[in-house]
Amino acid sequence: MKSYLIIIPAYNEEKTIAQVIYDSHQAFPEADILVVNDGSTDSTPEKAKNAGAMLVDMPYNIGYGGVLQTGFRFAVEYGYDFIITMDGDGQHDPYSIKNLKDTMELENADVVIGSRFLGGNYNMGFFRKLGVRLFSSIARLYTGMTFTDPTSGFQLLNRKVFAYLSEKDNYPLDYPDVNIIMALHKMGFKIKETPVKMLERRVGKSMHSGLKPFLYMIRMILAIIMVVIRKER
Amino acid sequence: MTLTMRIVIFIIGALLFIAILELVRRRKFREELSIIWLLIGFGVILSSIADLVIDPLAFALGISYPPALVFLIICLLFVLVMLYFSIVVSDLKSKNKELAQKVALMEYRNSKWGQT
Repeated sequence: MKSYLIIIPAYNEEKTIAQVIYDSHQAFPEADILVVNDGSTDSTPEKAKNAGAMLVDMPYNIGYGGVLQTGFRFAVEYGYDFIITMDGDGQHDPYSIKNLKDTMELENADVVIGSRFLGGNYNMGFFRKLGVRLFSSIARLYTGMTFTDPTSGFQLLNRKVFAYLSEKDNYPLDYPDVNIIMALHKMGFKIKETPVKMLERRVGKSMHSGLKPFLYMIRMILAIIMVVIRKER
Repeated sequence: MTLTMRIVIFIIGALLFIAILELVRRRKFREELSIIWLLIGFGVILSSIADLVIDPLAFALGISYPPALVFLIICLLFVLVMLYFSIVVSDLKSKNKELAQKVALMEYRNSKWGQT
């Protein structure tokens, strides 16, 4: 067993998942690869398995956060030291994993977040941009650090962090965002950002589109308030 | 309130009450969740004579149209019921997540065990 584990949450990613697994293995062979299938209705699990990844199958769709947390629990159970989380749609460039790793070692960080904005340009809609700006400012006020891309699903976590997040209600069922960054900061973990290369989504539509960004903002504001007022052990 | 009206309301309340009891008896409805509805059924029964209390109460509160007070009470009750059920749903959602994660990880462990 290796000490790094790449976790790829996947929901209906049959077109891209095999390539993502292959590329990740090429780019970072010192990691095992785990695909957590969130109740896909297509052939994602077969594709993942055939591509040589370990596969955990959720009995039904439970959402991005719940799936990642399953991966954290897996990593705790099998004794991994580091986790890299990556999306299954191929927009994260696995060759950037080295950046994450270097930053963690250099800065002695517990969490390294891969940012698509530190490195270069990335197009997105108006509301999305507004949301990212707003939540970045809130996070800066609270933590004193600038996070240019808090929603990034491309992260490197050490064991202390994912063991904490794997506990019962320490991770949200839907989308982790600045609320998790703030919660980790509150717990005293060291968080850093590093530039990563983002590739254009090969297929599919971003989850942040339509009216959803607005509801999402309200949901996230609530989550942020909760992080601030909750008493942790 | 006319006597006919009182009788009609009483019957509606009694039917609701009996229907809920019957659902619980057939185990279609969990006892602990049914209590809040039984209370509402009982409230409907009581409301057949409620004007005796409501009218003086409404005037004391400065409400010139007593039925408005009835609606207010009913609205508050429904808010409470919905709040209660939201709590139940949230709790179920957490438990459901825990269960799904445990099952998924266990299935993985089983499949490994089968191979070796």
